[in-house]
Amino acid sequence: MNAKAITLEEREKILGWKLIIPALLIICSLILYPVGYNIYLSFFRVSLDPRIPKRFVGLANYGHILKDSGFWSAFGTNWLFTIMTVAGNVLIGLVVALLLNRKFPGRWFVRAIILLPYVTPVISTVFVWKYIFYPIDGPFLNIFANTLHLVKPNVDIVNNTKNAIWVVTIFNIWRNFPFAYLMFLATLQSIPASLYEAAEIDGANVWHKFRYITLPELYFVMGALVLLRGIWNFYKFDEVYLMSKFANTLPVYIYEKAFSGLPEQGVAASMSTLLFLILMVFIWFYVKKVLKW
Amino acid sequence: MVKKRNYLKTIGFWSAIVILVFLILYPFIWMVSLSLRYEIDIFSPSIIPPKITTSEYSQLLGFSKRVGTEGSLEELRSLLKDLPKEQAEAIMKKYKGAPKIFPFLRYFRNSLMLAGISSLISLLVAVFGAYSFSRLRYPGRGFMRKSILIVYLFGGIVLAVPLYQMVASIGLLSTRTGCMLSLLLIYVMQTLPVSLYMLGNYFRSIPYSIEEAAIVDGATRFGVITKIIIPLSLPVLVTVYIYAFMIGWNEYMFASIFLRGLPKLYTLPFGLNELFYTEHSVWGRMMAASILTAVPVIAMFMVFERYLTSGLTIGGVKE
Repeated sequence: MNAKAITLEEREKILGWKLIIPALLIICSLILYPVGYNIYLSFFRVSLDPRIPKRFVGLANYGHILKDSGFWSAFGTNWLFTIMTVAGNVLIGLVVALLLNRKFPGRWFVRAIILLPYVTPVISTVFVWKYIFYPIDGPFLNIFANTLHLVKPNVDIVNNTKNAIWVVTIFNIWRNFPFAYLMFLATLQSIPASLYEAAEIDGANVWHKFRYITLPELYFVMGALVLLRGIWNFYKFDEVYLMSKFANTLPVYIYEKAFSGLPEQGVAASMSTLLFLILMVFIWFYVKKVLKW
Repeated sequence: MVKKRNYLKTIGFWSAIVILVFLILYPFIWMVSLSLRYEIDIFSPSIIPPKITTSEYSQLLGFSKRVGTEGSLEELRSLLKDLPKEQAEAIMKKYKGAPKIFPFLRYFRNSLMLAGISSLISLLVAVFGAYSFSRLRYPGRGFMRKSILIVYLFGGIVLAVPLYQMVASIGLLSTRTGCMLSLLLIYVMQTLPVSLYMLGNYFRSIPYSIEEAAIVDGATRFGVITKIIIPLSLPVLVTVYIYAFMIGWNEYMFASIFLRGLPKLYTLPFGLNELFYTEHSVWGRMMAASILTAVPVIAMFMVFERYLTSGLTIGGVKE
């Protein structure tokens, strides 16, 4: 009889949409649209000043990139950085998780401090690392150069394009291994102790227990971790730039291209588009292997 | 229990623990030590400062004025007292005035506002959004839920250029409020996916029977959210807020892009980094500033450690 009778289902649908519209709006306008706009911009010559009209240049930006040795060097450095840091993160995270898996006196203390590098703001930690690696007088060189005579004391590790990558790698591993540790620990603690006991009764030693019980349980977490950490580190800007802007990974190179010196935003956009395409490949792997496992 | 006592294993184990603790704490110990030193002792090789002073902290926090070589406007005026008027005025005009104080408190306030407000907005939007796709049925819901994680992985440098161009062409970059507003929105954008994910997971774990009972008693859906779900999830809500706050507090890239040239608006990460390359960059003071920047975040983390740790593994972190 009532023409305006709305079913419960429909009411639910309407409410559902109403509640998600703000979130959807923000994500679409500030994440999805800019990604598309970035691809669009990569075909133009774009300047920092919005009043200067953009000039369509087709694939010129991409051609420019292919010939740019700076780009290729940054690209290679980026892969190097990603591989080293992911390996370091996973290995150290795993070792630490194994160490802290069993009870020992003082474990509460170690567990308390272990997240400090991860939780402390980046800006708070970079200055002290710059101090530690300071030429001649900093503690690192003081010990390794002046006392042990292993290195030359006036080596500038941080502000030097050749060496900066090592500083940035060490910093990244120091800062991020707690994340890997957390994920590994959670998995390790879900492995029932009875499995280990049964193996011991059968005569397994430490290595056997690790290889045949622990490792298989960790495969999935390790895969997820490598992918996640790989994605995050490949695109990392803040930590690298703040530690040493000479480290020249690809995000740093793009940032400098877009906002410093003689800004070429169109070229930067094309580089980020390439970066984005690589990201999509990573994400495809992540979705197939980790999410829809 | 089958346990063997292996002496070598124990030594190996404990040395590993000691090395671990040392490597983790080494930079922090130096940070504290340097922040309590006089400038001349900065590079003195011992970790314990030869003499201790809290002057860096008191200067940063405004408790004491800097006694130093920088002239203030009044000092300049008194120096020029004896010069003929035109000359004095010509010199005064040229004096641009270096900031007299290390503007730590200003940066602190800016960061606090940006991170605090953006996290609040993000939390609000996320609560409704997460409830929507974890409880209510409508077409497209499943797709949205799955794509949250993927959207979460976008970001950073890929968005830098387009967002800059977008904001610049709207004209928001020409005013101070415009810049702050755009940065605020960007922080909301950065924290929204992870907030949605964490809250979505949590809401799905709340038994539906509670809501059912309320609806049977005549409550509207909206009423259910405000009167039941929110009070029930208070710890998780606080966790998500702190999470988002940490992201905003930490953020450098977008702050450096959108606040460039507006030193009064700098956030802590951007401001401190800029200061590092100016005459204010006294090691001891940078260390004190570093510690003061870290204190709010570490304090929040310690209080909510249990929730945050599990949140870290479930939701991952935007870093």
